[in-house]
Amino acid sequence: MRYSGVKISLLLSLCFYSSYGLSKDNDVREQEKPRDFYNSEHFTIQAPEAEDSSSASGNAYIIDGVRIGAGDDKAGYETTGYQTNSVAISARQGTKADLIRVIENPPLGLPKIPVPVNNPLTVEKIDLGRKLFFDRRLSLNDTFSCAMCHIPEQGFTSHELEKAVGFEGRSNRRNAPTIYNTAYLERLFHDARETTLENQIWGPLLARNEMAMTSMGQVIQKVKDMPDYAGLFEAAFDGKGPNIVTMGKALASYQRVLVSGNSAFDRWYFGKEANAISEKAIRGFNVFKGKGQCVSCHSVGQKTALFTDNMMHNTGLGFKRSMGKEPDKERMLIAPGTYAYVLKSKKALVGHPPIPDVGFYEVTQDPDDRWKYRTPSLRNVALTAPYMHDGSMLNLGDVIAFYNEGGMLKNESNFPNVTQSPLIQPLGLTEGEIDDLMTFMKTLNGDNIAEVISDAFATPVGDTTNEH
Amino acid sequence: MNIKKFISKPLAVLAPFVAASVLATNPVMADETCMSPYMVKIVGQEDFVYVWTLGVEGLGDGQDKMVTVDVNPKSEHYGKVINSESVGGRNEAHHSGFTDDRKYLWAGGLDSNKIFIFDVHTDPAKATLVKTIDDFVSKSGGVVGPHTTYALPGRMIITGLSNNQDHGGRTALVEYTNSGEYISTYWMPTDDNLQGAHKGGQFADGYGYDIRALPSKNVMLTSSFTGWSNYMMDFGAMLGDAEAMKRFGNTMVIWDLHTRKPKQVLDVPGAPLEIRCAWKPGNDYCFSTTALTSQIVLLEEENDVWKATNVADIGVPANIPLPVDISIQSDDALLWVNTFLDGKTRAFDITDPHNPKQVYEKQIGNQVNMVSSSWDGKRLYYTTSLLGNWDKKAQDNDQFIKLYHWDGKEMTEQFAIDFHAEKLGRAHQMRFGAYSLYGKQAKVEQAKSPIVAMSK
Ligand code: HEC
Ligand code: HEC
Repeated sequence: MRYSGVKISLLLSLCFYSSYGLSKDNDVREQEKPRDFYNSEHFTIQAPEAEDSSSASGNAYIIDGVRIGAGDDKAGYETTGYQTNSVAISARQGTKADLIRVIENPPLGLPKIPVPVNNPLTVEKIDLGRKLFFDRRLSLNDTFSCAMCHIPEQGFTSHELEKAVGFEGRSNRRNAPTIYNTAYLERLFHDARETTLENQIWGPLLARNEMAMTSMGQVIQKVKDMPDYAGLFEAAFDGKGPNIVTMGKALASYQRVLVSGNSAFDRWYFGKEANAISEKAIRGFNVFKGKGQCVSCHSVGQKTALFTDNMMHNTGLGFKRSMGKEPDKERMLIAPGTYAYVLKSKKALVGHPPIPDVGFYEVTQDPDDRWKYRTPSLRNVALTAPYMHDGSMLNLGDVIAFYNEGGMLKNESNFPNVTQSPLIQPLGLTEGEIDDLMTFMKTLNGDNIAEVISDAFATPVGDTTNEH
Repeated sequence: MNIKKFISKPLAVLAPFVAASVLATNPVMADETCMSPYMVKIVGQEDFVYVWTLGVEGLGDGQDKMVTVDVNPKSEHYGKVINSESVGGRNEAHHSGFTDDRKYLWAGGLDSNKIFIFDVHTDPAKATLVKTIDDFVSKSGGVVGPHTTYALPGRMIITGLSNNQDHGGRTALVEYTNSGEYISTYWMPTDDNLQGAHKGGQFADGYGYDIRALPSKNVMLTSSFTGWSNYMMDFGAMLGDAEAMKRFGNTMVIWDLHTRKPKQVLDVPGAPLEIRCAWKPGNDYCFSTTALTSQIVLLEEENDVWKATNVADIGVPANIPLPVDISIQSDDALLWVNTFLDGKTRAFDITDPHNPKQVYEKQIGNQVNMVSSSWDGKRLYYTTSLLGNWDKKAQDNDQFIKLYHWDGKEMTEQFAIDFHAEKLGRAHQMRFGAYSLYGKQAKVEQAKSPIVAMSK
């Protein structure tokens, strides 16, 4: 986001002195003059430059009657012209989909889904996994399902937060990644600490700052005690009830079929449909492969493309967070198009210090792995803002700008970032190339998004009831 | 203040709504001035303050509790905690409200979504937990964060703050019977479904927070705060989270009181929180304050349409003092406004509601949230906690209840109870209790001239 940085008194008065509501006098704005405090150094209202409002808040749109994006759309909130585009909670209705079909026919651009031999996919397991995924009772105080952080219409991530917030509001240090195409990941989590989807579930279920269950046994018992699960595990797992293994297998099965491909890019690149993407997007792909060197980590193969090498790299961002200087004051939005500054010292009074994050090093204990994170896939990337392990980049423009500057090779005190990938260098991309690259990244949305969201919406959210 | 002046007319207006039993009660009258007009009030000396208190991990029993403080100066326990009822869990205790007969106090948990119902009439000295509603979310169809529990005749209307689908700000009003049975959910109007409401400006965010009824105008007014993710998260982390900061309410909604249908959605940017309506007949207006932009907002009707106007700054908005609770004096002359971050209380002269002027200011603590005033405006009680993860950290995290006497010019502290030292937790919402409400033998002198202050 770029701002002119000019103090504009008209906007000031607009923010604070207009008469809201149905006042007939629409022009109070002009008559009112700003007051002194707006000149305070803490409080400056800045005018955004034209039409730059792509942010994590997205720009919700509708495909096949299904709204893609947050039901509470905040696109353009940075400007005084912001208008809501909200949908009712009751509009969350959908139709169950035949998710398992992808197993025989992976979408264009994606390889066959790797399925562990001891957990073959079945409809029963997928259905059970889906039910568990949306069940808020799987947390210590019945308030957190997996889907509260991996929200289906928000790209199975959350547009509403840079970093996830869990049980009792406890802070997470990282952004919730998408569940789309996790089937293809060779290691899970930003720091690659987990190996399989089957194992992964115990991370969030037991983490104090996620779902906060106190033991595996407690989780199993809780599920056993819920009457609406009666017989479901047994039916899906040859008579076996809920246990550590079947829980993992069920949740993994649902997540595994959330693959998403056959994007416009796939139809052009693999399907040879000449007009599937625009000239501009094609130029963008050329930057992606060429000058931008993006493809060295966000891989594209001969027949398929995962847009990740499943490897660990230091892009400079983690280093910047740990070793860089924090600004003394930060600008923040306090109402649509209205900004104020908050001093670091003031923030410290009401907040805990940020939780440290050294990336892959925490898993290997090898200093060479400091600030390395796993390359994420870029499929559906336009739907999964905000970006990076800490959610600190709100839109794709921010990400490209970061790469264009070449990461962070040393901090303000000349402390070197020795583990930064040699592939991350100042790129010298022109405005036009940046624009093309952005357009290309928006061609990576899978063709089944609406179907998957609708299928998720057809699943009841599990909440405490006294109906039994 | 002349009470007589404004109690004469309203009973007739109220008659269809007010249960006979309420009128029959011989009342004393306490933040009495924020009570539902359908409720009998304490206009004399209150005997008790019930403090809905947040449990703190590692302090005492670590759970939420309803704390009863004896506040009658004639009592030997004056200024002391005389009862504490733990409810289990940290539910993000927040607001509470009586049923219209004032026999039960409903207290909500913004995190666990439980509603705890306390009996305050059997023994007013002991608010006792008698029922817990634990299926609020499933019953209501996905409403999260029961906030204001507000009395309508025979009913409790509960504002939500969030939902079970994205933990964002879209939410609803939920109606229950006094005995705790779910009746209905009224979703806040959203752009795709305004439900017949007129969207007067740019916003229809579907957010909620507080509610007040103005029976004389057949309206209910609601304000808008933020969803679960924000109100539960570390305040400092939120200020640094650019996406989270876009998720605050910018609207107020005018509802038809009888049909419970939204009539108008008004733009009120900057998170309008508490709503207080004037009491005198003919004073058909209400105030709210915006948390982030520090404005006093006047809500009034003009040619049959409601409008919201920013009428005064609170402190220096640039410094984000964070206005939180407000309290209107029963003669509509003064509005108390607390600002959380600087720990101050401010009095605004609102005799001209279009032109509030600050006339007094006092430091209450390192932080302050709630203010509750006795009906006669002479006693002002203050507590400190805003939200479990928003309160100041370390030594700035004051947690107390303090009583001040206000003589119209100056405030003098009467007592303070340190909720840390007492191992209780974070002191939040206060509600007043009195023996005489229930025709019980007060252990102390009765109020001199009991008056039912019904208004509108
Ligand atoms: C409180 C929010 C929250 C909840 C609840 C939650 N997650 Fe996550 N999830 C995250 C965050 C944050 C990460 C990244 C953590 C990290 O990398 O350290 C993550 C990572 C993941 C990943 C790894 C994706 C990748 O790209 O490596 C999967 C799979 C996943 N979660 C599935 C689940 C499942 C299944 C549940 C429910 C059992 C769940 N999550 C509950 C926030 C949450
Ligand atoms: C050295 C390997 C490497 C190169 C080269 C590279 N990336 Fe990345 N990319 C990564 C890693 C690792 C991350 C995750 C970083 C983090 O989470 O902090 C990432 C994250 C991203 C993300 C955020 C995705 C999300 O869901 O959060 C985008 C978008 C992205 N890269 C685009 C690009 C583009 C465009 C280029 C070329 C200009 C590029 N990358 C070049 C490794 C690379």
